[in-house]
Amino acid sequence: MTDDYEHYEAVVVGAGPGGAAAAATLAQNGVETLVLERGVESGSKNVSGGLIYAEESAPYTIDGLFPEFRSEASERPVTEYYLHNVAGRNVKTIDLTDLHEHDTTWSDAVLRRHMDSWLEGRVHEMTRETGGGLLTGVRVDGLLREAGEIVGVTCEELDPIKADAIIAADGVNSELARDAGLMDWEDPEEWFQGVKAIVDMPASAIAERFGVDEDEGVAHLFSGDLFEGVRGGGFLYTNDDSLSIGTVFHLDSLVAEAAEPHELLDALLTHPLLDQWLQGEYEELEYGAKLVPDSKKAANPSPHQGRLMLVGDAAGQMQAQGPIIKGMNHAVSAGALAAEAFSEAQTRGRPGEAGQRYETKLRDEGVMAKLRPTRYTVASAVGENGAVASVTDSLVDSPLGRLGIEAADRLGLLRRAFNSPFVMSVMPDTRTPYVTAPTAIAEALGTPVREENDVEPPDLADRIGDLTYDVGDPHIELRDNSFAASGAAVSACPVSAKDFGGGCYRDEKVKTNGHEEHLVSLDTQPCVECGTCAIVADTEWEHPAGGKGVEFEQG
Amino acid sequence: MEIDPTDHEIADLGPKIKDVDDADELREMLAAEEDGEDRAPVKTLIEDRLEKVAGEDEDVDPSDADLDDMTVADVANMVRDIEDIDVLEDLLERERDGQDRKTAKSQIEGRLDTLQDSDHESEDEDVVVEDPEEKYPDLDHPTADKKHVRALEDGDYRDMWVYCETQQGQLIDVSKEMLGKARGLMDEYNDEYGESESVVAVLIGDGVGELAEECVAYGADRVIYLEDERLGRFRHTPYTRIFCDMARNGGHPYGRDDRQEDDWRDYDEPRYTVFPATNNGRDLSALAQAEFDSGLASDCSDLFIEAADISNPAKTGKPGETVEFQRVLHMKRPDFSGFEYSTILCLDKPGREFHPQGASVIPGSFDVPGPDPEREGEVIEHEMPLEDDWFKVEVTDYDQLEGGVDLTGNEVVVALGRGIGEDPTEGIELGLDLVDQFEAADLGLSRGVITASYQFAGHVEQYVTEERQIGESGQVVEPDVYIAAGISGAVQHKVGMDESDTIIAINTDADADIVEFSDYYVQGDLFEILPELIDSLEKGELDIQALAGGASDD
Repeated sequence: MTDDYEHYEAVVVGAGPGGAAAAATLAQNGVETLVLERGVESGSKNVSGGLIYAEESAPYTIDGLFPEFRSEASERPVTEYYLHNVAGRNVKTIDLTDLHEHDTTWSDAVLRRHMDSWLEGRVHEMTRETGGGLLTGVRVDGLLREAGEIVGVTCEELDPIKADAIIAADGVNSELARDAGLMDWEDPEEWFQGVKAIVDMPASAIAERFGVDEDEGVAHLFSGDLFEGVRGGGFLYTNDDSLSIGTVFHLDSLVAEAAEPHELLDALLTHPLLDQWLQGEYEELEYGAKLVPDSKKAANPSPHQGRLMLVGDAAGQMQAQGPIIKGMNHAVSAGALAAEAFSEAQTRGRPGEAGQRYETKLRDEGVMAKLRPTRYTVASAVGENGAVASVTDSLVDSPLGRLGIEAADRLGLLRRAFNSPFVMSVMPDTRTPYVTAPTAIAEALGTPVREENDVEPPDLADRIGDLTYDVGDPHIELRDNSFAASGAAVSACPVSAKDFGGGCYRDEKVKTNGHEEHLVSLDTQPCVECGTCAIVADTEWEHPAGGKGVEFEQG
Repeated sequence: MEIDPTDHEIADLGPKIKDVDDADELREMLAAEEDGEDRAPVKTLIEDRLEKVAGEDEDVDPSDADLDDMTVADVANMVRDIEDIDVLEDLLERERDGQDRKTAKSQIEGRLDTLQDSDHESEDEDVVVEDPEEKYPDLDHPTADKKHVRALEDGDYRDMWVYCETQQGQLIDVSKEMLGKARGLMDEYNDEYGESESVVAVLIGDGVGELAEECVAYGADRVIYLEDERLGRFRHTPYTRIFCDMARNGGHPYGRDDRQEDDWRDYDEPRYTVFPATNNGRDLSALAQAEFDSGLASDCSDLFIEAADISNPAKTGKPGETVEFQRVLHMKRPDFSGFEYSTILCLDKPGREFHPQGASVIPGSFDVPGPDPEREGEVIEHEMPLEDDWFKVEVTDYDQLEGGVDLTGNEVVVALGRGIGEDPTEGIELGLDLVDQFEAADLGLSRGVITASYQFAGHVEQYVTEERQIGESGQVVEPDVYIAAGISGAVQHKVGMDESDTIIAINTDADADIVEFSDYYVQGDLFEILPELIDSLEKGELDIQALAGGASDD
């Protein structure tokens, strides 16, 4: 009976930018390609910080593969790029436009629902030409194996499908990558968690408050002491008629500080610095969250096994180094390279070599060097060593250090250092670059913000209430409901909070037979499928069925 | 050899090889590839070209072909075109005398067999195909070679017939949904075409006559029913026989001989038939439409009536012309588990009518309309003999699925939220005590309670089930009085209760969302407030329903 399964030359799982790039390249090479997307529409499951790059050095760019991309699918280009070092009300702003423009052909803000659904249409047209197509609402839940070899995929909604190549572009919580043992959810140090608010703002207000024309946009980054010492930072990007404002933190730091992500986001939203742009008006269109792999540690240098190739977030291909945050562009490169690798291997009659060819291409095209810079490996050994870290912290904190900062600023060194891709790529993941140094810089050089910011972001219950859900069966199971094992999720989960009964994770003291147990309970109804609890709690984590679960309208 | 294939990628080789016309050179290239990279697609490319080139200049006459010179593949290709058995026998002879290759012989023999078989067939051309109805006189529908057509010629078709399924003596929701939809469709139809065609509801079962007025209230103009105690449970034969007998007017060529013509109509068969896509409805729809010899679009999610431009000559009878078909029921159905939709049309073709145009409808596709008790309609009891023979299949056993807890229809709903967390068992007990103070009341729970890790004592545990959940993923209630104790009132909960006439909230937190949409708010701990409330109700000091009556007046 197994021989009756439908067969395609290639199956692409996930229709985000990585999957779209893979499918488009496969179709251009005449490969019969089926694309499976679990959202009701592409983009309905996707959140990103919001900037997509076209790098000069990249083998592929999204507008190269989809020529109308910039006019149809993206928001404003980023024409100015700033980093704000914050200490209380003191802010020192550094212009990072040079760093941003290094190796950048263009960079646009995007909203994923709009962007990915546009890509879906193009991909559907292209793959149909070669005998395939794109189906939405199908959740691929595992790999089909015969005699131990991967031969296809299994789906919750359809019969298994066989393929000569399986390109898993199924995102940061890729179940295929985990089925194959190529990625895991073990170590919080390998991950960031981002939360984001989409804030309504008419184009005319954006033009006036940010001083930009219709075809211009701004990116602002924020670091310093506004996040309770949690390692990470904030961002603000201008879309056509909304703002993307978010925060990204090291997951291990969030857990260590038991910080509430939505409160950290609020800390940014309500900082006086933002008054110049919000001006007392705040209408939140959507609250979203996602897990971000730290490619320095998580990117799999050999992301393939048998017929399976991983691309994008599924393979940990997310470059987050200081103020450089690039993910979608690498997913595009990787997707197209995986497709190219399969097409070449197939032409030579040896499709089994696709994975190895893909790995070689990632290396030869310089993608892997950006994701896992070798200089970081060396620097981190020193920089992240506890003793060294605290010395650098106290050095920056000391009067001597401050003096150095002021001198460096006068010499223009500070701006130059921040604008150096080299310096940025070796930044260690300690408090120094995220908190201590920016705070020190702001204290020494910053000027105080005088405005008051009195906006009131919605509370968590309202944020959850505004999201669209189709609740299916619970897709996450708590394996251990003791607070000791899974309690970290109560604060780290972006839709849960201590003393909040409406979230996913709630801590509860339960009295049984005269003694009290500290437990957590889980209700997956408000889940935004970010994957945080897969790492910080003891769970059996799966995605909801196709078309079920959270549906992002903005993304 | 001008082109060395091992120097090239297959992509450049394709165009180049088209210019090579010399078979020997191609053979040389093939050998070079085999010795070199040995790429399968490249070899296929060269072989294809070789076959083409060789075919052009080696068109041999089989009767004097030199078999020794030919490969088995060449022999196979050659014999395929030979029609003359003598030539083939001669070839076989020569192969035996020559290289005597088993594979070559089998090619020639195979061709010989084929030719001899076809000769054999042509000898008895006048095979008499036995009429399956004669061959299988006991079968209703001999299918070996369908010989019957039960479609009408120049039939008259009118009205939309809706089969209304019942369970436990009630119309099921989809029956009401279909009646509502049919009403809308036929109103538009009558407007559009200047007709006065009707919605006809069909009821079959035990004691279904009393539901006829309800069918009218939901949109039927006429209700035809047949009741018999043997029809208590759905069975294929009697239900199909009855439905078809109802639908086929007297004098129908395939109907019951002694059927009287209905005085209320002047047509032969329904124009449209609509069935529910339930287990029973699917069976009946398939059987009835097959009996009518029409088509069926099963499991539809939308229906509309409009004209359709058709160019398929099988339907129009006029190749190359587009013909507009009028009054076509468009039946939209999800395919591939809902990934695509197709619209099914059931169209007549020249010399053959396909009516009624039939569909089965997925329950829930349309809204249940509000009943109009004032509507008037005609109720007709259908009379026909029911043969014992139809009831040979006996229903020996059946099971009723648990209905679950239905919180709707209560005057009072007491709902508990995570405010009971301090002592969940006592919280449920208090809730139940409060429920007991009213005549038509029941206990509801927020999702937060049901998904919590609370431990409940055995006697209240049975109440903590999803069946009692109120809200987006639970039940929607609108009682006269809704008492929400320890519920914060998140949007997901609100949608399940905010249509209640009077909402009384008990919560420690004065900022809780629920306070905003409550009529009365009691600030305090439910463990203190609920006992007081129960106490004053018991003593008759407080009349909450009177309170609610007062509140709904303003």
